[in-house]
Amino acid sequence: MVQLKGIQKRFGGVVALRDGSLEVRRGEVHLLMGENGAGKSTLMKIVAGMLEPDGGEFLWQGRSVRFRNPAEAAAHGIAMVHQESLLAPHLSVAENIFLGHEPRRPLGWVNRREMLEHAARIIEEHRFPLQAEWRVERLSPAGKQMVEICRAIRQGSSLLIFDEPTSSLSEAETQEVFRIVRALRERNMGVIYITHRLEELRAIGDRVTVLRDGQTVHSGPLGEISADQIIRHMVGRELNAIYTRAALPPGEEVLAVRGLTRKPVLDDVTFSLRAGEIVGMAGLIGAGRTELCRALFGIDAIDRGEIRIRGRAVGIGSPQDAVREGLALIPEDRQRAGLATGLPVPYNLTMADLKAVCRGGFLKHAAESRITAEFSERLRIRMGPARQPAGRLSGGNQQKVAIAKWLLGQARVFLFDEPTRGIDVGAKMEVFQMMDELARRGAAILMVSSEMAELIQVADRILVMRQGRISGELPGRTTPEAIMRYAAFETGASAAGEAAR
Amino acid sequence: MIQRLLPFFTLVALFVILCIVSPNFLTVTNLSSVVRQTAVINIMALGMTVVIISGGIDLSVGSILALAGLLGAMTMEKYGIAWGLAAGVAIGTLSGLGNGLMITSLRVNPFIVTLGTMGIYRGLALIISKGLPVHEIPASYSYLAEGSLLGVPFVLWILLVAAAAMHVTLEHTRLGRYAFSIGSNPDAAYYAGVPVRFHTTAVYAIAGLLTGLAGMIEASRLMTGQPTAGQGYELTAIAAVVIGGGSLRGGEGSVLGTLVGAFIMGLLANGSDLVGTNPYWQQVIIGAVIILAVTFDELRKRRTAA
Repeated sequence: MVQLKGIQKRFGGVVALRDGSLEVRRGEVHLLMGENGAGKSTLMKIVAGMLEPDGGEFLWQGRSVRFRNPAEAAAHGIAMVHQESLLAPHLSVAENIFLGHEPRRPLGWVNRREMLEHAARIIEEHRFPLQAEWRVERLSPAGKQMVEICRAIRQGSSLLIFDEPTSSLSEAETQEVFRIVRALRERNMGVIYITHRLEELRAIGDRVTVLRDGQTVHSGPLGEISADQIIRHMVGRELNAIYTRAALPPGEEVLAVRGLTRKPVLDDVTFSLRAGEIVGMAGLIGAGRTELCRALFGIDAIDRGEIRIRGRAVGIGSPQDAVREGLALIPEDRQRAGLATGLPVPYNLTMADLKAVCRGGFLKHAAESRITAEFSERLRIRMGPARQPAGRLSGGNQQKVAIAKWLLGQARVFLFDEPTRGIDVGAKMEVFQMMDELARRGAAILMVSSEMAELIQVADRILVMRQGRISGELPGRTTPEAIMRYAAFETGASAAGEAAR
Repeated sequence: MIQRLLPFFTLVALFVILCIVSPNFLTVTNLSSVVRQTAVINIMALGMTVVIISGGIDLSVGSILALAGLLGAMTMEKYGIAWGLAAGVAIGTLSGLGNGLMITSLRVNPFIVTLGTMGIYRGLALIISKGLPVHEIPASYSYLAEGSLLGVPFVLWILLVAAAAMHVTLEHTRLGRYAFSIGSNPDAAYYAGVPVRFHTTAVYAIAGLLTGLAGMIEASRLMTGQPTAGQGYELTAIAAVVIGGGSLRGGEGSVLGTLVGAFIMGLLANGSDLVGTNPYWQQVIIGAVIILAVTFDELRKRRTAA
């Protein structure tokens, strides 16, 4: 149904797409893969009418087309489900589904009843876990995506583009999205699915196209290609498919948390971290992992509980206190809280420990430049001119900057919240190496991740959270099944806890 | 880069055009009067620059200008010029500090807080003065606004010193750096352990200090302490920052840009006077320039962001 040949697109002097080619058929789920900056999003924005190509051929149902805006693409039956939701949060599910196409009564009044009924029909037909009258702002990221899917179905779209739909979803929610994607395929729609997660390959895709540096480097059925081969196409070089880390003998206890409670998200959390240790933190979305990081870092107040650092009880009432006590947080949402994306890289690198490049309140610019040069070389941060805003870097390089800002100070306890979200395979390995290096220098690391394979590869031991409690602890070399058992199902201890409540 | 310099080129172009169309433009008398007219706004705009960089806004500076000028003039009546000046600047700083403390402790949007204090400070000035201007200022005080030093208006020296101090603060001190960080992404700054509340408060106090100074210059210009002085100045100051490349979303702005922005508006007003444009049209022209300047800046950002 879609054929793209030799699509080109440049932004100023930067070539985003050199030779983007893609063919999608009816009734297939077509995976689009590639590292960040490979041109996947640009190519999809062209298909969805958000960008106009500079060159190349774009055939839709066999006819050459050129969309000037998303409305034209939508009129042809192409819709995109965005990574960041493009919904009106204060409106209901039904109102969002019909936004701009509300059923009318005479005199332009909106026919609310018909809108609600129609929305409910769509929801029911596809068994979405939604209600037409719910307010969108209260939905989870997965719920919001489903509203976008509903909207596309309502428009009668025949091609749906998903941009990393599962990157912020829990395992159960991911399965739900998969189910819906399969249902769309059954109805003979075409689906283009952008993803970073290799383990999703077999679960969902029929064929795959790999982009690298703005060029299509591979396209073909999934049955004929291994995950390793795809990685090789993506990075263009050999890569250890599995990261392995030599565990260190654990040192002294650096962080001890006892009975940490913040109702209703954290309930009696007790654990400890030792120097040189990387402790994984698994759990479903909403299990309280991010909330734990926030509470430890003084962002949210705790109801009770004790935090000890090197055996000394500390009171942490704000991030300022946390930083003083040697804690570092690499937050889940890099763009929102990890980086000042509008400011140059050096500003970001020294933000958490500006005193290191200050004398009597005055900045030493030379020291700052030296530190920037040192970090960018040591961590292989690919940055352009020094004044360029950090937000212009690729996701992986942004994450490295977000981590690097803690390396200048005396941080000894690192809380990594989903450190590999939305970054490509190569950058992931580099982030793991940074974590390993920190551990080798005596830091204690808590790594929250929703990717179980990643936890198993990197962590020395894995804590699992469920409903605000630590529901289990596993050795590093465990299986996803074992983690899931603690994360998703009743265990003896927590079942008893539920009963007691 | 060329587009970042657009305000600067606009200023130069405006200057050249005015030289050509009006023989009275390039004269010492006229240029001195431009400097004297714009100095007050310029100095206020310097304070507004750091506020806007930190992601805030201060609508109360016009009222602070009046309150500081009035109380400064009243002090001067009794205790002389030096104490009067000190009192005006101190009142400005305290008023700004009040804004900052309310914004950080009540956690109310700066737009709302300073909208409130715009009324409060103006009201205080009117209550204290019973609505009447203060006249008994020593005659020699007019030197501040009207005098000359080394052949140029004295206020130009004040402006240059204030601008240099502000530039150093923004680019070379921790306070300035934190202002950028807080303005660019308050969450990221907070998560990095930046003392956000302290520095936010400090930023408003600085704006108040400079506004207090501007208020004393205004008092010298008018040779009265006027409780009704400075009405609408806050918007002109904001416009100067914005024309000079400051972003109301925070994290962007510079001293040089603000100076250029303030002088563009000053030259537009002066030029309109010289060529005899209807003064009502001046407002229309300046309004259009504000919109155009921000439009070009947005276009530039959009293009480079892609």
